[in-house]
Amino acid sequence: MIDISAKTRILAWLAAMPFLLVVLMFEIAPLLAVAANSIQTETSFSLSNYSEILTSKFYLGSFKVSFLISIATALIGLGIGLPAAVLLKRMPGRVQQFVVICSNIGANFTGFPLAFSFVIMLGVSGSFTLLLQRIGLLEDFNIYSTSGLVIAYSYFQIQFAILLVLPSLAAITAEIEEAAHLVGASRFAFWWRIGLPILAPSLLGSFLLLFANAMGTYATAWALVGGSANVVTIRIGELTAGDVFSDPYLADALAMLLVVSLILPIVVEQMFLRTKDRDR
Amino acid sequence: MHERSARDWIWVGLLGCLQLLPIFAIFLNSVAVDWAGTILPDGYTLAHVQNILKDPRFLQSIQNSLIVGFGSLLVTPFIVVPAILVAHCYFPTLDKYLAALVILPYAVPGIVLALGLLRIYSGNYGIVLNGSPWILIFGYMPLAAPLYYVPIKNNLRALRVTELFEAGRLLGASDALILWRVVLPCVRQGLIIGLVMNFTLAISDFVYANLLVGGHFPTLQIFMGVLNGGSGRKLSVLITTYFVVIFVATAIVVWVTSRRSEA
Repeated sequence: MIDISAKTRILAWLAAMPFLLVVLMFEIAPLLAVAANSIQTETSFSLSNYSEILTSKFYLGSFKVSFLISIATALIGLGIGLPAAVLLKRMPGRVQQFVVICSNIGANFTGFPLAFSFVIMLGVSGSFTLLLQRIGLLEDFNIYSTSGLVIAYSYFQIQFAILLVLPSLAAITAEIEEAAHLVGASRFAFWWRIGLPILAPSLLGSFLLLFANAMGTYATAWALVGGSANVVTIRIGELTAGDVFSDPYLADALAMLLVVSLILPIVVEQMFLRTKDRDR
Repeated sequence: MHERSARDWIWVGLLGCLQLLPIFAIFLNSVAVDWAGTILPDGYTLAHVQNILKDPRFLQSIQNSLIVGFGSLLVTPFIVVPAILVAHCYFPTLDKYLAALVILPYAVPGIVLALGLLRIYSGNYGIVLNGSPWILIFGYMPLAAPLYYVPIKNNLRALRVTELFEAGRLLGASDALILWRVVLPCVRQGLIIGLVMNFTLAISDFVYANLLVGGHFPTLQIFMGVLNGGSGRKLSVLITTYFVVIFVATAIVVWVTSRRSEA
């Protein structure tokens, strides 16, 4: 990009080196360690961990529950996050920046703080449970359940969605909106015929990241439902730190399957985008 | 088409209220006398705050979280930001790999990386980092990288870097000086967002803290896990404190970084 002397080139590489080293040691190496462990048992190398998982109703069930929760909360996240981002885009820059910082805190609002606040609001004697019961909209609600997890996850998913979608809205310029306005397109027609098609690739990307985010959520599920939540991450944690079920090799195999189920859609999406770019 | 109507402001306000609702609920619970079977508490008190202040684990956990949070801020940007800048300015190929690398933490859940770190840094390979805050400070670094990369990259894209370098070199400035005095100030806004997010990540994480360090170095999140299942009043005070810490740190980071630029 910028032509540089040999000396500057070396210095520049030296500046980038520490980060690459950190990535190697704390991101790539751990992943390889998990992969290597997943094809071992206490005594030998084998694929028995994988066959055990893939034939176990229990573990496959945990994948199913995780999938359902993640798809639901990714859709909820986009469904509310997209209109919210569109709304924010119309606000002054300072308001946008403020909301971005708030959304970041909200997207990190997981685990015990999140779980406990939802117990206060929607638990057995939570404020909103009582309020909704009193006005007759709700009979019985159990926050310590799969639907409880969906509601709790949605809180950070919506904010993560805002963070993901907001930058991509730059593709919808004022000129496009004005042009559509001039030819008399209604707001709905504009979004349905022009806005959403323009945003479709980045919305798909956002959906996949939201999906992965929910699939990988451990702290919130642990804090809200504990060991009885049959989601993949809880099973992994149980096999790692549990006193009764500890089996680190099986945990690693489960972790690898989780990673594959997240990376595969992202890789397919990237390939799809690349061929589409070539076609243009 | 672009006028901001009052209706927009109402929606934004509503969104903000929804964002704040859980935090407000926890705050209310931390100062409630009794709150069971009613929509709002019966009365308010600071007794729980005084109560938890007597618990030595409380201050210990705050201190530990601050060590991890600020420790992360003292190390991470100095390692991550130079790589982002030189990749953008000099090495487009490296930049492509960086873009892929920073997506990785999103695709690979924290618990998976934590498993790997647990295997590698427990002494099997001669390095023992687990049980000390160092594993958290270094372990969070790849997770924090996208938090710097995305906003800084947004700033960089709006910049004509090639021309800046040509002009700077013409005036006799070294590349290092151009990066430090011209490019870095231009990405200040992205850097601030990165720093705030990095800190939030470091003190909000439970997975790494729980699996890699646990009771050896109990952070706020670990202490929350200990208190979970009790009356909940102490937990509420703890969570409220956690928000105060995030809020104050955010304010400090924004203040310091915007002040330095004026100097």
